[in-house]
Amino acid sequence: MSEQEKQSTSQKSVSSNPDATLAQGDQVANKGGEDTSTYPALGRWMMFVDNPKNVNKIVYGLCILCAGLFLADFLYHKHTYVAIEDIPGFYALYGFFMCAALVVCAKVMRIFLKRGEDYYAPYDVESEEYPEDGLDRESHNA
Amino acid sequence: MLESFPVAFVFFAAAILLMALPRGPIRAGLLLIAPLITLVVIWYLPEGNLWSVNLMGLDLDFMRVDRLSRIFGLIFCVAAFLGNLYAWHVKDSVQQIAALLYAGSAIGAVFAGDLITLFLFWEGTAITSVFLIWARGTEGAYHTGMRYLIIQITSGVLLLAGAVLFWRETGSLAFDKMTLGSFGTWLIFLAFGIKSAFPLLNNWLQDSYPAATITGSVVLSAFTTKLAIYALARGFPGTEALIYIGAVMTLFPLFFAVIENDLRRVLTYSLNTQLGFMVVGIGIGTELSLNGTAAYALAGILYKELLFMSIGAVLFRTGTSKASELGGLYKTMPQTMLFCVIGAASVSAFPLFSGFISKSLILSAASHDGYYVVWGILLFASIGVFLHTGIKVPYFAFFAKDSGLRPKEAPFHMVMAMGVTSFLCIFIGVFPGMLYGLLPFDVDYVPYTTTHVITQIQLLFFAALAFVVLMKSGIYPQVVKSVILDTDWSYRRALPAVLSYCAWVVATLWNGLLTFGLNRFQEITAGLYKSYGPEGRIARVWPTGSMVLWIAALLAAALLVNFF
Repeated sequence: MSEQEKQSTSQKSVSSNPDATLAQGDQVANKGGEDTSTYPALGRWMMFVDNPKNVNKIVYGLCILCAGLFLADFLYHKHTYVAIEDIPGFYALYGFFMCAALVVCAKVMRIFLKRGEDYYAPYDVESEEYPEDGLDRESHNA
Repeated sequence: MLESFPVAFVFFAAAILLMALPRGPIRAGLLLIAPLITLVVIWYLPEGNLWSVNLMGLDLDFMRVDRLSRIFGLIFCVAAFLGNLYAWHVKDSVQQIAALLYAGSAIGAVFAGDLITLFLFWEGTAITSVFLIWARGTEGAYHTGMRYLIIQITSGVLLLAGAVLFWRETGSLAFDKMTLGSFGTWLIFLAFGIKSAFPLLNNWLQDSYPAATITGSVVLSAFTTKLAIYALARGFPGTEALIYIGAVMTLFPLFFAVIENDLRRVLTYSLNTQLGFMVVGIGIGTELSLNGTAAYALAGILYKELLFMSIGAVLFRTGTSKASELGGLYKTMPQTMLFCVIGAASVSAFPLFSGFISKSLILSAASHDGYYVVWGILLFASIGVFLHTGIKVPYFAFFAKDSGLRPKEAPFHMVMAMGVTSFLCIFIGVFPGMLYGLLPFDVDYVPYTTTHVITQIQLLFFAALAFVVLMKSGIYPQVVKSVILDTDWSYRRALPAVLSYCAWVVATLWNGLLTFGLNRFQEITAGLYKSYGPEGRIARVWPTGSMVLWIAALLAAALLVNFF
């Protein structure tokens, strides 16, 4: 974004502030001090996932869905090519346990393979900052 | 006549024209128009060898058009268009020209009908793409670029050597189906293998792509590796070794991706896994599996670009793409989050997304042809990809712990690029007939069957459940700032360490011997000097008086002896 555009956006946000002060006040009260009035609507709407209670609801929803999917295996004729596919819930169990096994294996691997960020420095970008001239940092809380 | 020139030259001409244009919208517009023109040209090309040139008695075919080269040519144009749209803000001429030449080289290589033309463009992709890494402009990027270049050029040199040997054996340079056997074909195979990131040859990928610029990695993710996949599909379809190579390729990167911190590097691991799927498809070599490879390459280019774009947008706004530094960005970058999730759903092969209708061709080919173990591995890899790219990338970037970062939404052109790519991902997933019509062989495959949809959803949702359980129980590894060692450690640390140790041993021995020899030499010269030097006993000047004295003494002694 060019310098002019940046200025114009900042001016816009300044000019829209007086109108939004009331709404802002509400937001501040609701969200523990965070001023969300400038956030995109979709982002504000989604902020319910910050509430641990809602996260739990999503998790329960997933559990119920999974239970349903597991039972679905008994309700239709599976068209299979590999014998192991005929086991009821094969895909569900394979998905669950292989996923867990993958994470556990990877976690064990990390014990041996993890090094500090500057391990390869200075021959590596890992410990470097991304050059600022390639970025366009713009922030709501700056 | 449209069919009378190599389409890659559109990109090269655009690159030359670009230098004459002022920086700004005109240039950026040219960067968009060049791929579009090429796209249209390729679409209307008839099949056949359309343009060849005789060079020193060799017929070089620049435009071999058939269904396999056409689909790769088309998707490369789309990828170049999307990448350049995403890079609309870039003012750096080097990157713009490199992106054009790189895409042009890749397209040129796809239409190459002989091994020498392939080699020319093959090296072209290597030399042009490295500038997308160097453009970052840091010391680390310079060294990474050098490593990348060395490996890419090695691949090209192997290809050339293989081509020459192949020519000696067969008298032909035609780039067609080959059988592994002679040394020449093995060299060509290895050259393709390096660029398609075979196991143990893969680490240039994970090393270099995250070091490229934000826009550079988007472009890089599309071409080099898919070009290598095309080359394998053209040169070695049905080579059984590829099935097992591919299976290992899908497997290994999974573990690294789970523990890797840099999300752009996670994406390269997931890219590596997808290449494995394609390699398996080539190895099986049936019409179904080769279709699967082509379809998956096309879909993979799109959603991988999308994922690199979304994480690139995060990097663009926050200055980091590391999972340990990010989190909670959905609040202020909801569109980018949404596009990332669409890319993630595509890569995880959710029904109605592009991954589902393309990956299933390869999985079906594996199970239909009786490669059950490979099928099991591919299924596992699908779960793994869902875990580390489908869940991990969007979750740690946009949700997870709140990082406190509140960056603004990505700029308009980036949102546009991501939006178009997302649309394509979904469109292909919902209407697979479009994609299937472009595939190298006629398709007789229905992806949306009850069994297939339900089993796939079961697989994914239970993997998600496992993720939730692991997160809740704290078993899932925390994201921490770190470097995870991979096989590149062998040539970045082990080999230099071994070499420097050898050098130390040799140097110590040499120095020891030298010191010993010099000391002996000095002792000897000192001894000689002592005896024969100007002050030495031999060279001493004796007074005549002392000789007379000694003679007198001798005479006295003789007298005494006679006397007694």
